[in-house]
Amino acid sequence: MICVSAFGVWLLLFAPMLQHNAQVSPVGTRRTVALDILGPIAALSRGVQLSRIVSETDAATGRDKNQPGNGSTLTVLGASKHPTKPRGGTSTSTLPPGATTTSTTAVNILHPTAANHLRVLIVGDSLGLDLGGPLQNDLANTGVVTAVLDGHESTGLTRPDYFNWPAELQSDITADQPQVVVIMIGANDPQDFLGPPDVPYTSPQWNPMYAARVAAFMQIAEKGGAKVIWVGMPPMQSGDLSAKMLDLNTIVQQQAALQKPPVSFISSWSLLGNPPGTYSAFITNSSGQEVNVRTPDGTHLTPAGGEVLSQAVINYMQNTLHFVLP
Amino acid sequence: MLFPTIDFAIFFAIAFTVNWLLNPYAGPWKLAMIALSYFFYGWVGWNYCLLLLATTLITHFGAVAIHGSKTDRSRRWAMTISVAALLGLLGWFKYYGFASVNIDNLTHAVGLGRAVPLLQVALPIAISFFTFMAVSYVVDIYRRELEPARPLDLALYLSFFPHLLAGPIVRGNELLPQLRKRRNPNEVDYSRALWLIMTGLFKKVVISSYVSTAIVTPVFTAPSQHSAPEALFAAWGYAVQIYCDFSGYTDIAIGLALLLGIRFPINFDAPYTARSLQDFWRRWHITLSRWLRDYLYIPLGGSAGSDAKTMRNIMITMVLGGLWHGAAWTFVFWGALHGFGQVVAHLRRRRRVAQGLPPMADGPVRVWSQRFWTFQFVCLGWIFFNASGLSQAFAVLGRIFFGWGSPSPLVNPLLVVVVVGTIALQYVPSLNVAKLQATFSRQRVAVQIGVLAFVLLGITTFGPPGVAPFIYYRF
Repeated sequence: MICVSAFGVWLLLFAPMLQHNAQVSPVGTRRTVALDILGPIAALSRGVQLSRIVSETDAATGRDKNQPGNGSTLTVLGASKHPTKPRGGTSTSTLPPGATTTSTTAVNILHPTAANHLRVLIVGDSLGLDLGGPLQNDLANTGVVTAVLDGHESTGLTRPDYFNWPAELQSDITADQPQVVVIMIGANDPQDFLGPPDVPYTSPQWNPMYAARVAAFMQIAEKGGAKVIWVGMPPMQSGDLSAKMLDLNTIVQQQAALQKPPVSFISSWSLLGNPPGTYSAFITNSSGQEVNVRTPDGTHLTPAGGEVLSQAVINYMQNTLHFVLP
Repeated sequence: MLFPTIDFAIFFAIAFTVNWLLNPYAGPWKLAMIALSYFFYGWVGWNYCLLLLATTLITHFGAVAIHGSKTDRSRRWAMTISVAALLGLLGWFKYYGFASVNIDNLTHAVGLGRAVPLLQVALPIAISFFTFMAVSYVVDIYRRELEPARPLDLALYLSFFPHLLAGPIVRGNELLPQLRKRRNPNEVDYSRALWLIMTGLFKKVVISSYVSTAIVTPVFTAPSQHSAPEALFAAWGYAVQIYCDFSGYTDIAIGLALLLGIRFPINFDAPYTARSLQDFWRRWHITLSRWLRDYLYIPLGGSAGSDAKTMRNIMITMVLGGLWHGAAWTFVFWGALHGFGQVVAHLRRRRRVAQGLPPMADGPVRVWSQRFWTFQFVCLGWIFFNASGLSQAFAVLGRIFFGWGSPSPLVNPLLVVVVVGTIALQYVPSLNVAKLQATFSRQRVAVQIGVLAFVLLGITTFGPPGVAPFIYYRF
């Protein structure tokens, strides 16, 4: 009785928020059923003004829905970006000992030093996090790079109603003023664009629409003059998902070439396949040792897999973009 | 299905109703609870239900074979085969990938070529927990401490959803009798159950999540980017995070079971107040500790033999206990570290006895010193436990020792209060907590509803958007 009543009170308080979360969740039966159940309860909550308690509390605690990203409570969180990273100013919270992030406009960013760090922003979905952790650490180990990681699981460019990546990236760039932006995003993107009008994933309009979003995202990343590196999706254990990833990679690669200046595209397809281009949980490293690079879900990367991509990004920065890193 | 989600809230509302509606009818109640438990487990992946079913069948037929054996020899064989089959399943799903890649690299290194096929086997959630429960059941029957249960009772014992995903590891003699008798709804302490669920939710959703995002994840992701105080607080913070995560889960599990009229054993008893590693393991994940003691350490000989044998038994138990948590060298190292610590303590005790010295007096300085250093040693272990690899663990340790003299923006007053406060709360005597619970239980229903709704509001408001899976779901 107490339990049911307390749950009822809580449900009434949060029904509008739960309804919002249901609206932005992946399209399917679960979403439909949730919306059907929560609709009347949310209406009642709004009718008796109970929902105002929550919205006022959210506003007071700075958790209102106008924040960048507009994260949903239905996501499962992974490693998140630096939580104390200040917004709208130069970041100092992520600095390694002794480093500064003073303006480097007069400094050659290709030769970062301990006094003038190169600022790198890494953004992405769960696979971006798998890459971002090792990359952030490897870059920090150089002693001349400050890397900020902003990753959100279960996100992508298809559903800004669920997580608004363009707004998030814009906010990151304003806050961190990165000189290099590394992006790895797309695993959750093969799904319908929600309208109106809705654009199904299988429709002919989908590819141009996705290409436009990718291009817009790249332009935000480049706006501050940063060099942008986009890491493509690797092959997946599911043949169907793998084919979709290959399509997305093609779109991204095309858009990367069209940008001015062009965005760098690093293919992970051959790096994480064994033989190259074929999904494999294990690859043979340069020492001849077998390394487990994929998690048992057949999608994500193990730390060793993230390390493979991290080294590829760093090698690219050194060999192609000509950064001098220790 | 995660406990702190709307999906589970709806599921539990149905389970709660079905539980009490069918309570008078033993057979239908068991069938319904088994069906609900399998649905709960199947929410993660339906194919996993087949594994749970296979474990149940192996356990049942093993128990029947042991019980029906005429000679001790055949009993032992039946028990050995049953346990081997159960551990074989666990070994295949949990350890094959880890073992194969390490064996393969070893044989390659010594010139024997690729000796083992490399396969990545999906790890079914909860397999470590229900396998250990199944093993304890089979061994208890072998030891004649338990009679074989009816198939439905056994199926429900192994699958009962409140303990299924991350324990507690409940013994047959604790749960089976409760499943056989009708539960009296008037005897259920609903207020205590709700208290446990709310405190568990608060620990998990608010404290654990905050500490994780505020310090633990940033430092462990890029140790070299952080100062010594930040690395130190990341280690202490992880101690708080994993305690709030796992004990929070246990509180919720115990509370949910209580709402259904079932009592589970406690799993935590203020572990960070421990004065020694031995004491720590009496307070941390108690149901696993006693499993390791009763089904591994004592059968190995315990501390009955020579010092060398005792040390061997401690090390085997702790290393295997570490490996139980996951197929990675970090867990092996973590277990070995705890084993080493206990071996040293054992030798010091033995040396003192051999010298004919009396036990040292327990003055406040000694007691607090023991608590302090035990906590630091436990935190040292947690660094390896949480690291993605040994190199990351040593990188965090390196920052603790060599990262002094630089700014520590992540160590803010709120973080210090949360970390220190959570540890300090463990020193609140359990009697006071019980009194607080009793005070809550005595309040009028309307007050209790108001308090619970207020706590829920706090959890939803101060918790992060989204719910991270419980750490122990991985094991």
